[in-house]
Amino acid sequence: MDPILQVEDLRIYYKSIFGDIESVDGVSFSVNPNEVFGIAGESGCGKSTLVEGVLRLIYPPGYIKSGKILYENKDLLRLGDEELRRLRWKELSYIPQGSMNSLNPVLRVEEQMVDSITAHTDMPKEEARAMSIARLKDVGLPVEVARMYPHELSGGMKQRVIIAMAILLKPSLVVADEPVTALDVVVQKSVLQSIANLRDNYGITVIFVAHDLAAHAEIVDRLVIMYAGKIAEIGSVYDVFEDALHPYSKLLVAAIPSIEKEAVEGIPGLAPSPLNWPLGCRFHPRCPYAMPICSKEEPPLKEVRQGRYAACHLLR
Amino acid sequence: MEQPLLELRNVTKDFAIGGGLGLTERKIIRAADNVSFTIPGKKPTILALVGESGSGKSTIARIILGLLEPTSGEILYEGKDVRVWLKRDRKAYRRNVQMIFQDPYGIYNPFYRVDRVLYKAIKKFGLASSGNEANSMVVESMRAMGLRPEDLLGRYPHQLSGGERQRLMLVRMLLIKPKLVVADEAVSMIDVSLRCIFLNNLQDLKDRIKMSCIYITHDLNIAYCVSDDMIVLCHGKIVETGETKPVVKEPLHPYTQNLVSAIPIPDPKKRWKDTVDIGDVTFKELRSEEGCIYSHRCPHVMPICKEENPPLTEVKLGRRAACFLYR
Amino acid sequence: MQGLSFATSAKKYLMTVLKTPVRIFKLNNKMRVGIAVLSIIFLIVIFEPVINGFLLEGRHPLSVGSFKPLLPPSQEHFLGTDILGRDVLGEVLHGLRYSFSIGIIAGTISTAIGIIVALMAGYKGGIYDTILRTATDMMLVIPMWPIMATLAAYLRFMSIYTMALLLAVFTWPWAARTIRSQVMSLKERPYIDLAKTTDLRDIEITFEEILPNVLPYLGAGFATAVVGAIIAETALEMVGLGPGNIQTLGTLIQWAINFGAVVMGNWLILAAPILFLVLVFISFNLINIGLDEAYNPRLKKITGL
Repeated sequence: MDPILQVEDLRIYYKSIFGDIESVDGVSFSVNPNEVFGIAGESGCGKSTLVEGVLRLIYPPGYIKSGKILYENKDLLRLGDEELRRLRWKELSYIPQGSMNSLNPVLRVEEQMVDSITAHTDMPKEEARAMSIARLKDVGLPVEVARMYPHELSGGMKQRVIIAMAILLKPSLVVADEPVTALDVVVQKSVLQSIANLRDNYGITVIFVAHDLAAHAEIVDRLVIMYAGKIAEIGSVYDVFEDALHPYSKLLVAAIPSIEKEAVEGIPGLAPSPLNWPLGCRFHPRCPYAMPICSKEEPPLKEVRQGRYAACHLLR
Repeated sequence: MEQPLLELRNVTKDFAIGGGLGLTERKIIRAADNVSFTIPGKKPTILALVGESGSGKSTIARIILGLLEPTSGEILYEGKDVRVWLKRDRKAYRRNVQMIFQDPYGIYNPFYRVDRVLYKAIKKFGLASSGNEANSMVVESMRAMGLRPEDLLGRYPHQLSGGERQRLMLVRMLLIKPKLVVADEAVSMIDVSLRCIFLNNLQDLKDRIKMSCIYITHDLNIAYCVSDDMIVLCHGKIVETGETKPVVKEPLHPYTQNLVSAIPIPDPKKRWKDTVDIGDVTFKELRSEEGCIYSHRCPHVMPICKEENPPLTEVKLGRRAACFLYR
Repeated sequence: MQGLSFATSAKKYLMTVLKTPVRIFKLNNKMRVGIAVLSIIFLIVIFEPVINGFLLEGRHPLSVGSFKPLLPPSQEHFLGTDILGRDVLGEVLHGLRYSFSIGIIAGTISTAIGIIVALMAGYKGGIYDTILRTATDMMLVIPMWPIMATLAAYLRFMSIYTMALLLAVFTWPWAARTIRSQVMSLKERPYIDLAKTTDLRDIEITFEEILPNVLPYLGAGFATAVVGAIIAETALEMVGLGPGNIQTLGTLIQWAINFGAVVMGNWLILAAPILFLVLVFISFNLINIGLDEAYNPRLKKITGL
């Protein structure tokens, strides 16, 4: 099957007085339809910038330096504003970080949902209202929520309202950036399951961005591990967790504390600063397997096995 | 019987919300409800206080640190009431009971360089008798924690990473050598790959300077990794206590069981098999006055659960739970 | 460590305090312009006697009949002369000196009282807070202008210091209020908790932890206080209620109106003081806004400058 989204060599930089900050520096991957695709990495790796770029939400001083973003064979970077607007919300939907706190506090839930429908379509209000209530039910919320104000809802419910709003117009692709970070563990589970549900029962493709690898392990099909603005590894979630190819992925998985593990090992050293990316492979200063070539040449992202990509000199 | 290092007896804390001008109703929120526990005196321990948001754990932390007064109950440090400590022997109490908080940026005054948190502690607690001695203490302690003084000293907080800032707080502990440190979500704002280093440093400190720690978190994975004993809180009440491993592997209280089953396991082969019922995560809850704190959500609820509050009873050796299932 | 003397620690404190504006000075255009203009005005004010001595060849700027009256602007008299034969530029510089001085002194006293009360009120609350809130509320409810005017009229002859004091007494609660709300929000920061657990006393926390973070608001508060004082003083002078022995820019404006300068075509004597007042206000406000932007970088994007 053809991928629903293909990103080719995307570079997103920020202008600053110190020169260009290379936030996302040559990222390529593809997302298959009807899957939950995870983007993982620690702070500063560029994952949030990456999805903002894919949705063309980069504002100055940030800019897209080069690359292609093919959605159903249309390059999003070359679309006009009008076409892009039509795609947004109806086919591509976005749940930004911390969005559950940006619900309008003076409007009822239902009103906000109807507002976003009528802003993007010509649907009459009554129909829009019915659709909103249907969506709330879809994410497992009781109908009473529609008439409530955001402050009356708990964190988990607000997040589900946000998800409902994102799928109002039945988009094909939903991008969720850190949707469960601020939530308690039981609530987190329910929201993660809501997200997995989008794939299972509605055939929606989800791009799930989070730094918590355990959350990825629970719901994601394939995943990308980013480091310092570049991709370290891409593969199925089973492959990456059990048998990672890239040393960073291996160490990262080993570093997650878990009730199933007796001890954990951290990764020594510090994540590099975007103002000062190391030469060659960006992970080499912290890599236990570093070879002389690693500090000179950047390893290209190669398809090592079927569907599995990694950027490491060890995998020649 | 040996004297415990810290003892909380029936500590309760109420907060009043609203009711200012008679326009809004005055509500009392009971953040901590009759909380009692001890930290043993002889062996340094790391005790995890686990609970979701609103469970009261941060409130308890602030009460122990003397930053908040309890509505009722006592907190005894080495047998003496904390209020008495703060009145007569404040410096000694402060020296012995320290804190590490969640926000690695907010904990530093942005106006000063990071050195100040170390040197101020040295000065206030009289840890060195000269400037030179202070300098060498700082350098030694940083090296002991695996940090390079050349890289960190003289900088402003925004120039360091979150992980470095938190580890600098551990250096501060190494200098002060408190007997008890209260750590509130110490690693939740730093990267995963650095968390272990911090937690390993913490355990290292426990062995090196015989420091006990109350580690507060909502993340059971971290609590499992770092703590010896565990207390589970729900809406301000203690629902289960015991050694960490058994509490997590075989939770007794239904709330703990629910919590443990919701932990995401970083192993795709071990995914959740059940789904969370929407009833578990419903509307903002108002506290029920009588009955068990968990009665409205408990799958094993019985009639008595709604009428009486279950006391914390010893179910097995060293394990206690507040549940009528174990009467 | 106990031996650290007060002088050394005061010096260290001052150095840290002074370094902060320098840190932000480099990045902000508005502040640069404001400070530049202000510096020029400041220099003019300081050297006014010399400048006037040079321009007027030793005559006092206010001595009647120094020159021929109502001369148009020329090379000798850049702004012409007024109806009483005085060089307009000389008068204006003289008036600027007094307006500016009164403003700065009043602003300083006002801000000084304001900080102390605000720090105590914000941090310790209790009775200090009650005093501040009562004072501020009084300022809001009781009309200050008539009271100030009455007092000014009663004390017919004042020095600039008395005038400044009078103005400060009526304006300090405004600055205090802003600083107090800042203090109250800063009180909740985690580093305050850390300070408490490091056994810092309340006084130490107020001055070492909170005050440095309140400084930007202080700068803005001071600028506002100065501008407010100058406006109040000018207003008093314009209606003739100012003290008779001080001649500020406001006095000049009053003379211009009284002597019908505009009608006689000598509009410069009205325009010049106003222009200088505006320059002073703009420069202070630029510094104000610049400080604001330096501490709230997001504002910069919105204003786009």
